[in-house]
Amino acid sequence: MLYYLIICRSLTYAQRTAAALGRAGISAYLFRTPRQIAGEGCSHCVKIRQRDLEDALAVLRRADLFPKRVFLAQDGGGYQEVGL
Amino acid sequence: MIYLDSAATTLQKPPQVARATAWAINHLASPGRGGHAAAMAAANTAFACRQAAAELFHLSDPEQVVFTFNATHGLNIAMKTLVRPGSTVVVSGYEHNAVTRPLHAIPNVTVRVAASPLFDRDGAVAAFRRAITPEVSAVICCHVSNVFGFILPVEDIARLCRERQVPLIVDASQSAGCVPVDMEALGAAFIAMPGHKGLYGPQGTGLLLCGDTLPQPLLEGGTGSASLVQSMPDFLPDRLEAGTHNVAGIAGLLAGLNFVRRRGVEHIGRREGALIRRFGQELETIPGITVFRARDPQAQAGVLSFQMEGMDCEELGERLGRQGIAVRAGLHCAPLAHQTAGTLERGTVRVSVSAFNQPQELRVLANRLRQLRRSGCANG
Repeated sequence: MLYYLIICRSLTYAQRTAAALGRAGISAYLFRTPRQIAGEGCSHCVKIRQRDLEDALAVLRRADLFPKRVFLAQDGGGYQEVGL
Repeated sequence: MIYLDSAATTLQKPPQVARATAWAINHLASPGRGGHAAAMAAANTAFACRQAAAELFHLSDPEQVVFTFNATHGLNIAMKTLVRPGSTVVVSGYEHNAVTRPLHAIPNVTVRVAASPLFDRDGAVAAFRRAITPEVSAVICCHVSNVFGFILPVEDIARLCRERQVPLIVDASQSAGCVPVDMEALGAAFIAMPGHKGLYGPQGTGLLLCGDTLPQPLLEGGTGSASLVQSMPDFLPDRLEAGTHNVAGIAGLLAGLNFVRRRGVEHIGRREGALIRRFGQELETIPGITVFRARDPQAQAGVLSFQMEGMDCEELGERLGRQGIAVRAGLHCAPLAHQTAGTLERGTVRVSVSAFNQPQELRVLANRLRQLRRSGCANG
């Protein structure tokens, strides 16, 4: 199954991101960023369904929340960065 | 015990504070230090606390709410960010040692005191207007004097600072929870406050509200973020929150904040102000007692100082303590405030109330003081 991971600069930023998405009715799950794509080390990310990306990015723009990076991911591994 | 020392710490807390703290000890781990349920539950509690504070103090972004150990910790961060060696800073005449000692520790800082008479709000604005000159690099002002309860006109002082483009640090130690504190309206660089006074959290908690200035960390260490980078993160709150959080304290603080939000800051402040006003009026009927009381109700919060003729303030505080009445005597860690008000030599006895005090408790204190005067104890 494919999904997107929105990488955030901090836990609090990820919490704000997940909260903004939740308020907009977009299912968002916060967890620690997989090591392979964590870049500078420990961070948190928000997982959303594949079909929600466009709406999610629009919601985040309106909330002045800017993802650090976004990856297309699939269960069991494999990540592909998405250009924003 | 009749507890009238809430300006130091509120002892009577809403029961949910103790429950939340106890629950956190057994159920919450470290925010950002794991993906398991106990770590994420701790993260949720910390975030909820930041959100509650952001709403109460009018910040749009909960990331600008930083957890500290107390107000002193937050003030140190703020001052050590904005005040460089050789700087000139302006402070009110009512500052606590939490402000004056850190300034003293920065080499060659010129501290200009915008002194003004006690309870004279217009005089305070005029003093700041005179003191804020182009070479001033920061203004630091308490919102409410911890000794006298004097509510300084921080809104007007903030306006002066904005006009003259000087960053403002507000010490909200005595105002948070009982006088409206509006970060957005003030446009302050930093507002520091304890969690354990008017916000009814446990000791060891505090908040630093941050404006646009990137603060300098006092502590470096792990933050659960950007761990490959050896410098501290350049984003909040992580930049200022190295090491494990006081999660149990934060859980209690959240419960305290929710109590304040439910009851309403204005309601709490009005009630405390009325209690202190009535008490002050009653004290003024006792011969030999000097009461430091504002005539303008807008100028005094739930804190009041007095002196008794013929009795040392510490001795009086001790005597009342033995009779089950907790007050604070002496200089209250604020010699500058006493110097400004002319009470440095003798000090004062301070009475400070919380949302839980009842009029009857203050009547008991007034009666004890009256008895003391009548019995002549005050003379020897």
